[in-house]
Amino acid sequence: MNINPKDRINTIQAAVIVSNFILGSGILTLSRATAEKAGTPDVWISVLIGGLIAIAAGVVMATLNKSYPEQTVYQYNRIIVGRWFGGFIGLLFVCYFCMTAAYQVRTLTEVTGLFLLEGTPPWASVMVFMWVSLYLMVGGINPIARLFELILPVTIIIYLLVTLMGLRILDPNNLRPVLGQGIMPVLAGLKATVFSFTGLEVILILTAFMKHPNKSVKAVVYGIVMPMGIYLITAVMAIGVLSVDGVVTRTWPTLDLVRSFELTGLIFERFESLLLVIWIMQIYSTFTIAIYAASLGLSQLFNVKIQKCMYALLPIVFIIWAIPKNINELSAFGDFIGNISLYLFGIVPIVLLLLSKWKKGSTEETDEAES
Amino acid sequence: MIEVNNNLMVNLTLIREQMVYHSDVTIREFLIGNSGVAAAIVFANCLADRELIDLHILKALMSVQGDGTPITKSFVTNQVLSVSQITEVVSVEEMMPKVLSGSTALIIDGFTEAIIIGTIKNKTRNIEEPISEALVRGPRVGFNESLTDNAAILRRHGENASLALVSMHIGSRAKKELVIAYMKDIADPNLVDEVRKRIGKIEMDNVPESGYIEQLIEDNYLSPFPQVQSTERPDRVISALMEGRVAILLDGTPFALIAPVTFSMLLQSPEDYYERWMAGTLLRLLRFFAALVALLTPAMYISFISFHPGLIPTKLALSIIGSRVGVPFSSLVEALIMEVAIEILREAGLRLPKPIGPAMGIVGGLIIGEAAVQAGIVSPILVIVVAVTAISSFAIPQYNAGISLRMLRFVAMFCAAAFGLYGVVLFILMLCAHIVKLKSFGVPYASPAVPYRLNDWKDFFVRMPLFMMKSRPEMLHTKNKKRKRL
Repeated sequence: MNINPKDRINTIQAAVIVSNFILGSGILTLSRATAEKAGTPDVWISVLIGGLIAIAAGVVMATLNKSYPEQTVYQYNRIIVGRWFGGFIGLLFVCYFCMTAAYQVRTLTEVTGLFLLEGTPPWASVMVFMWVSLYLMVGGINPIARLFELILPVTIIIYLLVTLMGLRILDPNNLRPVLGQGIMPVLAGLKATVFSFTGLEVILILTAFMKHPNKSVKAVVYGIVMPMGIYLITAVMAIGVLSVDGVVTRTWPTLDLVRSFELTGLIFERFESLLLVIWIMQIYSTFTIAIYAASLGLSQLFNVKIQKCMYALLPIVFIIWAIPKNINELSAFGDFIGNISLYLFGIVPIVLLLLSKWKKGSTEETDEAES
Repeated sequence: MIEVNNNLMVNLTLIREQMVYHSDVTIREFLIGNSGVAAAIVFANCLADRELIDLHILKALMSVQGDGTPITKSFVTNQVLSVSQITEVVSVEEMMPKVLSGSTALIIDGFTEAIIIGTIKNKTRNIEEPISEALVRGPRVGFNESLTDNAAILRRHGENASLALVSMHIGSRAKKELVIAYMKDIADPNLVDEVRKRIGKIEMDNVPESGYIEQLIEDNYLSPFPQVQSTERPDRVISALMEGRVAILLDGTPFALIAPVTFSMLLQSPEDYYERWMAGTLLRLLRFFAALVALLTPAMYISFISFHPGLIPTKLALSIIGSRVGVPFSSLVEALIMEVAIEILREAGLRLPKPIGPAMGIVGGLIIGEAAVQAGIVSPILVIVVAVTAISSFAIPQYNAGISLRMLRFVAMFCAAAFGLYGVVLFILMLCAHIVKLKSFGVPYASPAVPYRLNDWKDFFVRMPLFMMKSRPEMLHTKNKKRKRL
């Protein structure tokens, strides 16, 4: 009903959107969050396992979607669990997306305030950011997908270039011993790494726009493998260069990783500006798709035009943005969102999937009984 | 409506009444051969081909040796007038516009029709090399102001029965001919229909140049980017047609329009294909780089100087800041002064008569470069920045694409002045968001970059060897996909 039949995206575009949504959140903080919990150099194993869990969750969501092609989660969960409860879950999703968007953009203001814009009032930078994002998302899912396709290769190339330059000062000893304290620290770090993969839930609404909805599993797997590779490299480089202790004590270890080496003789000697540039782009994409997902939910729940929802949501997100008072509250807020996402997208899709299978099974049974 | 009377004298009086307003119309009365029937021709002095009139109309009619049977219309048109174009009209109102556009009207006593004879003589410029799109290698042929010549140039390109030249008329008061050119078995019929529909919708009493059409058929009038390409080069038009695009030629202008346009086309030059592929590829990459430089260098200068001197190498930062010590302005004002000066210089250079041009360059370069630095208005490093920017923007092969970049450069500078590098990133995001939303005749402006069309990437940043470019651009949804076979 809210879907323009021409507004379709292909499988690659769906994968790119998933990747972009995931990448924004984890690049800068993943290695610290994990190292804090794990305390050993085995962060990269946590990332690997976390990625696999994310893929599993993604496959569950994509399979769930397959049974309801052309519909988003906001529409079909009302079919599965009933109008009111389904609507309630839909609203929770909307809230979650809003909070994610606010959290991401707050992280952005913290980092840019620290490294790029010391004197500028944060509300000014955030408002402009939101307007630029609004300009893109009123165009619908197709321009969003196309812009993400532009951003992603640039991100990957620059990111690899910048981080891999640190190979010269990588100390393999920092990465040893592998599994020195057994598997338990790895599992302890798991929660943090799984958080870094939040964003894959966007597949729940993306499938409705796909030209080939039955390829949504493929899209989500590709979409997760990409950031997984990036995260692995980040974890290995950050721990290898800065050591576990070094990573834990730094707020933004990836930035410090890039700051820790200089190449003389080039125009840039230091590359954190490049890293910041691509990171802003990633946050932009995460923010845009999160607000888009939230607005789509509102518009489908209450039958209003999606553009109106976007205009309405921006001020709300702005208020949420302003709530955390300092960086500690911000990270607490981040943990809170992570926990919610665990329940909302770890458990709810499985329950929905089981329910829908059971429902289908029972209808088939009754069909058989009738025939 | 005044109908053509069968009495010649009545007709001529009617026409003479009209001639008060048309001083260039001449009436020549004569008798047809030995039959004694009175006749007259009406033609416009400067527009009609006098030689044709003298030889094939007057001489033919005057030397008719009749056998006494009355002169009939079919006799005149079929046996006397040896001219290829002949039509008949019945009213004076229909006759006058034809006469005023160069045809000759033949009125014979006793006939109720006037015979219109095609004697239009076009005075056209010779075919010259296009000034605005110079090439080192490639045909030295450019369009001129005559539609017939231009159509002929396209036809002459090669024996090709599928080249369709569909004629339309445009302008309600000053009616002009316009030709839509496309390849019948290549171009997407939907595209052709769309072009025709948009042109049909134009309501203007006068269309002086193809730029009018461009502005009236483009998708988004608020966009800074040209959504229709204009060119003087026939080879460019031909290769666009072969890719499945549509060209629009208007009478009276050497600029043909090509649609749809994608962003990558603005940075391509026909030479990329004429030179070997390595040179073509490298030059094309160079142009992309130049476009980036032309767009962003002053903005980067402002953001690094005003916001993040810490992000550039320390020595460089020190030398830049050292050279700016005496400058009383902020970096934005400083950069604006120089950029505006350069833009004025460039605009002035365009309008100047050719012999004065170089003098202008010397004066401008000397005063603005040397003196401004010595007076301490700007820093020497900014002069370098501005010069690099200007040179890079000259490397853009299309004039109108260059203008887009020039406009956007100023926007980028203001963004940088407000938010530094963050502002520049937001500017880039905004620009990209605009480009991905923009469409030119249904084709996404950002294609083939996005959505990914790997096959079209052979002719995007790089220009692959010709034997590899087997298919036409996918984004144009052509009827015939392969270049090799008909």
